[in-house]
Amino acid sequence: MDKLSLDAAFAALSDPTRRAILARLALGETSVTELAKPFAMSLPAVSKHLKVLERAGLIARGRAAQWRPCRIEPKALKDIDDWLGNYRRFFEESLDRLDDYLKKLQAQNPGEDKKGSDNGDGS
Amino acid sequence: MATVVSLDLDKDPRSIIGMRVFDAPRDLVFAAWTDPKHLAQWWGPNGFTTTTSAFDFRPGGVWRFVMHGPDGRDYQNRVTFEEIVRPERIVYSHGGGEDVEPVQFKQTVIFEDLGGKTRLIWRGDFPSAEERDRVIKDYGAAQGLVQTMTRLAEFVEAQA
Repeated sequence: MDKLSLDAAFAALSDPTRRAILARLALGETSVTELAKPFAMSLPAVSKHLKVLERAGLIARGRAAQWRPCRIEPKALKDIDDWLGNYRRFFEESLDRLDDYLKKLQAQNPGEDKKGSDNGDGS
Repeated sequence: MATVVSLDLDKDPRSIIGMRVFDAPRDLVFAAWTDPKHLAQWWGPNGFTTTTSAFDFRPGGVWRFVMHGPDGRDYQNRVTFEEIVRPERIVYSHGGGEDVEPVQFKQTVIFEDLGGKTRLIWRGDFPSAEERDRVIKDYGAAQGLVQTMTRLAEFVEAQA
């Protein structure tokens, strides 16, 4: 996923109504009218949210039927999931390694504990 | 000492926060972040090695390095240090420029002295998050990640 679409996707996901819409769409495709039902919101307001989601590639809307059914785009969600997964993995595994490395350093130089490093006293 | 990771979508959808306690004094943990010789020993996920070509540890300074992946691929990286408070905090931005990987985020790393132990808190602001000047106090409050990730995974599985 390129940077622009990732930006758009995160921005789109930042709104609780839009996340609720996605949660509803996870159950299957439906119409704007159906989507609007649980929210105290006008149809145009819901349509606006749908446009944001659509632009972010998170949902798609049918062209064929008059009622233009909305459905979720699993690919975009998968991309976000992957991106977050890689990011998390980077830190978790790096910090595992850091933990091991710190143990090694302390075993080698027990006197370094107090001194810490050559980076001064932190003042 | 497991890493705690959370993503607070409700409060701040563009950052991810992690926390971990190390059984080592703060100066030592901080030092491990400030020298390419140290960084080469632990930076990157399992199977990766890191080669540094430039390292300038001061605000505005750049760390230029290549991460060699287990798949044989090389990943060009650039880190620009934005703020350094020894031995408490490092803020850097990752990415930027045509010649590096197209990933960009701002990272804040906080080192808390727990008396011989050190709590490390890292917070990543996702792409194009606005400049933030926030102190991280609420790392424990973020519960959103697990839920959100579970939801996302469910979407993906249900729809794939």
